Amino acid sequence: MTDQLTTDPTKPAQRMRAGSLTIPLIPWVLAAALVMILPFIFTANSAITIMNQMAITIIFALAYNMLLGQGGMLSFGHAVYAGVGGFACVHIMNMDDFFSQIPLPLLPVFGGLMGMGLATIVGAFSTRKAGTVFAMISLGVGELIAACSVIIVAFFGGEEGISGDRTYGMPFFGVEFLQQIEVYYLIAAWLMISAALMYLYSRTPLGRMANAVRDNPERAEFLGYSARWVRFFSFVASGFFAGVAGALFAINYEILTEENLNTTQSGLILLATFLGGVGFFFGPILGAIVFTLVQTVLSLQTELWAFYLGIVFVVTVMFFPGGLAGLLMMHVPAMRLGKLGRLGVPYVKTLGAGAIGCLGAAALIEMTFHLRHASAGDHSMTLYWITFESHTILPWIVAIAVTLVGFGIARRTAPALAEAWNDANTPDGAPR
Amino acid sequence: MTAALEMDGLKKSFGKTEIIRGVDLKIGKGERHAIIGPNGAGKSTLFNLITGRFPQTEGAIRLHGQDLAGKAPFQINRMGLSRSFQITNIFPKMSVFENVRCSLLWSMGYRYNFWSMVGRSRALTEGTDEILDQINLTARRDLPAGVLSYAEQRALEIGITIAGGANVIMLDEPTAGMSHSETDYIVDLIRTVTEGKTLIMVEHDMGVVFGLADQISVLVYGEIIATGTPEAVRANPKVQEAYLGEALEAH
Repeated sequence: MTDQLTTDPTKPAQRMRAGSLTIPLIPWVLAAALVMILPFIFTANSAITIMNQMAITIIFALAYNMLLGQGGMLSFGHAVYAGVGGFACVHIMNMDDFFSQIPLPLLPVFGGLMGMGLATIVGAFSTRKAGTVFAMISLGVGELIAACSVIIVAFFGGEEGISGDRTYGMPFFGVEFLQQIEVYYLIAAWLMISAALMYLYSRTPLGRMANAVRDNPERAEFLGYSARWVRFFSFVASGFFAGVAGALFAINYEILTEENLNTTQSGLILLATFLGGVGFFFGPILGAIVFTLVQTVLSLQTELWAFYLGIVFVVTVMFFPGGLAGLLMMHVPAMRLGKLGRLGVPYVKTLGAGAIGCLGAAALIEMTFHLRHASAGDHSMTLYWITFESHTILPWIVAIAVTLVGFGIARRTAPALAEAWNDANTPDGAPR
Repeated sequence: MTAALEMDGLKKSFGKTEIIRGVDLKIGKGERHAIIGPNGAGKSTLFNLITGRFPQTEGAIRLHGQDLAGKAPFQINRMGLSRSFQITNIFPKMSVFENVRCSLLWSMGYRYNFWSMVGRSRALTEGTDEILDQINLTARRDLPAGVLSYAEQRALEIGITIAGGANVIMLDEPTAGMSHSETDYIVDLIRTVTEGKTLIMVEHDMGVVFGLADQISVLVYGEIIATGTPEAVRANPKVQEAYLGEALEAH
């Protein structure tokens, strides 16, 4: 026993590794390059709209994860800070004299400060306790401010919201932001700046203590840190970046309504962040990308997109609490052993079959929905590029068969996958 | 010379139950003071009162002559008092290195700093590695603290407790649940790392108490019935009767 406690002299400590002095720059450079060239790959206007929405959601999700993942604070009302930042920016757009003096790319600073200001006020009392108390206060404040939007019409514009025109700002090196693509690069620049700043924040003393307070607030207090103030500062910082996201929304859409700050919106960002995974910095980025794709692309295909998203969310919470990032990082040990390739075929067999089963099940849901909700006499529906009569028996038999066969194969091949998984994670020569 | 820690008529009740019933105790600078007593005597409660976890009902606690009334744990810690816990209390998801680094941050003046990077401070990294070296966990540096063995976690806990440079160290049953060899190891470790500091500990293992302490107080039913050198306490008939007789026999 005592032997284990002493330093192993054959293995000199890898000093300076955990406390490495440089930030790993490569992923950041790659991400920046990708963001730069994306509009040349997806040139359609609709694609750029989706990418703008995606970038805004990424900033918002990263800001949200400063609370949830890094600070251990579950907020049910974080859309409020983004929304208020956005509303403030639309008001600035409408202040002709002032707005014509500032270049549009600086506007998010004001949105951020507004979100931060509100977070300072709310955080002053909501961060005293973490856990349920914090969650309840965040929900209450969220509802309160959403209710204010129909009461304080001068600021929130009532039910129709308020709108502005981004092009009245001072031209920025001749750019007036008339084109979607110009707005894209503005948002992309803010995405890179915000993500880098939020990452750097997590490496500062305060950012590290946010983790410590999340894991064990009592211990942190006995190390000289007030858990409450650590939470407060994280909350305020998160409010700033949420405000930036709101400002970018205002710039992109030029309109803000109650929908931007209500509890539905707060719930959606929680969902996107959790789906991506709260345990890793890049988790919320994945979550925001997937969520935006579902919200934009899938919603064009089916009215039931939110239903499917809900199922995916529940499955994530129950079986993959690490989210997408957690699922990816699960493969790191196998990769280190150089045995990742062994998972390929079993993955295709099980997950491929499972995916077919899911498509079959989705078909059944869609057909049931069509049967119940299509206008009278409308019996023909199109699914997976096939048009058929939803009142005849054949499509139902096919869908049921596909579902059963798909899930059946997935279930049959699951033990082989588990076997392959164990194999890929065991070093060669080690006893099994 | 003011005492390192001084308790004056200290009382604590939970509802109608009085747990600490008037404790007067002076612990001098550099003393190694053990508090012993039967289960339920109020030893842990006394610790929690001193460290600000609970407010006292009556009486005063002074650290280097300064009153601690109404102070939160983090304020008391900043005044130079640090503690460990009976149940291991570390940051299980963070690496061993990070556990120690977090406990150095405040004392190295970082406070709520959000403009400098922890990884860039050589002093911080070196200070952390020095502590890891002292507690012999250098080889475990990059592992999550939660996967360490029990004895290693206890050693880490002691490292976290001393890292901030506090001059009054309070250890709550540092050897609880350990095997003989582990206990010997931890006792040596405590002796080295608390060199020149005031040490106050609660401990059940009489071997540890008599091996480490130069002053012993016996707490029974919320009152201190004897204080003195190990020899004096061992010879005290009141102590024999109330507690030590059985404990020594068992030992």
